[in-house]
Amino acid sequence: MLCLKDFSFKYAESDRFALRDINLAVPDGCFVGITGAAGSGKSTLTYAMNGIIPHCYPGDFFGSVIVGSLDTVDASLTDISRLVGSVCQDIDSQMVASIVEDEVLYGLENFGVRTDEVEVRLTDALEAMGIADLRTRTIDSLSGGQKQKVALASIIALRPKVLLLDEPTAELDPASSLAVFELLREYAHHHQTTVIVVEQKIALLADFADKLVIVEKGRIRFDGAPADVLAHSEELLEIGVNVPRATSLVNGLRQRGLYRGSAVRDVDEAVAVCEEVLA
Amino acid sequence: MIEFKAVSASYDDEMPVLKDVSFTIDDGDFVAFVGTNGAGKSTTMRLMNGLLKPTAGEVLIDGVPTTQLKTSQLAAQVGFLFQNPDRQICCNTVRDELLFGFRAQGRADAHAEARVDAIIEQFGFDADAEPFLLNRGTRQLLALASIIVMETPYVVLDEPTTGLDFRECAKVMDIIAQLHAHGTTVIMVCHDMEVVGDYAQRVIAMTAGRVVADGPTFQVLCDRSALDATHLLAPQIPQISMALVENDPARADTALARANTVDEMLDALQAQEGAMSCGEVS
Repeated sequence: MLCLKDFSFKYAESDRFALRDINLAVPDGCFVGITGAAGSGKSTLTYAMNGIIPHCYPGDFFGSVIVGSLDTVDASLTDISRLVGSVCQDIDSQMVASIVEDEVLYGLENFGVRTDEVEVRLTDALEAMGIADLRTRTIDSLSGGQKQKVALASIIALRPKVLLLDEPTAELDPASSLAVFELLREYAHHHQTTVIVVEQKIALLADFADKLVIVEKGRIRFDGAPADVLAHSEELLEIGVNVPRATSLVNGLRQRGLYRGSAVRDVDEAVAVCEEVLA
Repeated sequence: MIEFKAVSASYDDEMPVLKDVSFTIDDGDFVAFVGTNGAGKSTTMRLMNGLLKPTAGEVLIDGVPTTQLKTSQLAAQVGFLFQNPDRQICCNTVRDELLFGFRAQGRADAHAEARVDAIIEQFGFDADAEPFLLNRGTRQLLALASIIVMETPYVVLDEPTTGLDFRECAKVMDIIAQLHAHGTTVIMVCHDMEVVGDYAQRVIAMTAGRVVADGPTFQVLCDRSALDATHLLAPQIPQISMALVENDPARADTALARANTVDEMLDALQAQEGAMSCGEVS
């Protein structure tokens, strides 16, 4: 369980709160999508979850952030990072090695994983991300999508309880983005890992997330099942959050009185609604 | 006019990244290049402004091969927006950034100053702001503005909306649409099929260094074989449209099959539903 209770934070150099009165409970194994306009506080929220706040960014910290049994204020960043694995928005800034297997080994060696376990973890992580064939490739020779998978493999090799990803598909094509989300969902379900993804691609979040969190001006504006959150399409658009066209279509049908059911989150659900309207 | 005539290109003289690519982009076109990572889209863009020269074939800008043009001559014709604005921005103030292109071309005169003033006002920039202290969306707008200010007849944009939120994306694309409306030829790489559907007039789909489809936007985006070859998904409304026609082929001649936007689909569904209520359609 990851739990933020009455959490507020103001960076030391700022005169306003970046996050205010955040209450969020994420059960184990949940796939959470976080989105919001630029500057809304999404990245700050991830820094609170992985302990970067308060350990690296000083400021005024109120309330509590609990990961598993750790209070992030009291626990060391090393202990928090054993529970929470983070993948940066800029994956090039995360890479430390020149060969794929060295990149994955870096974390395992730093975490003091037993030598007889290292090979298993390395192989499992590369296979889980579908990049076993890239093991000896130089990182410079990889495409953006391949690098993204290496970054993910490096983190899942550490077997964290929580995977925290900041815009993991920003530079990926639609097929690669979909593949990364499918890999994440499969991994999360198989290992009961909590996955938290900050992402602008709302259609992907709507498709994959169990829970959608919308951040606006440092506060949580919506928090719930994707279809329930997306039912507020006009309010979302007003605060700078995109809505899948499939959702907008069905919300439009509801407004025109052609459909009285609930909102939808993807194309398949929208097609079913259209067939219902046409029946 | 930009012409690619049987163009091949490679970064290491061994493995070709582009293979025998031919197409023509007419003045005033708004073309989107789509395809998976590694399909050769960015390489195609680099060939247009001479960052890369073909290993075979010719790239012609207004009839002149890029191999016969100096970088400065190409830069005066083809504006180029990099995917990452931080690889483009190099000055200490917004104003200097916008003047950089004029200075590089020895044209930092009164006209250039007036152009920069006009762009600063149009975009609402703080002229004295430090570019690297601006947020990601504003840096992207600044990089775009530094291209627009030069008034080149062609602009090449490599994923202009990557990393932007919904509002920033709409703002960038609306500015690009205005630019196109005033006669600039726009060529962009874009992974967001909704943006491609909303703005581009023509789509060139690439895979493995080759062009696999080239035509009006929705003709390509609704072409199953092109989508399969490029591992792309159509925008959501055309996806819904195609599924409805697959479910009932009799719908192929109705507005349901032609709907590309939310409003078009809503109108088509309402008309069809109304007709059925009146017993006009079985």
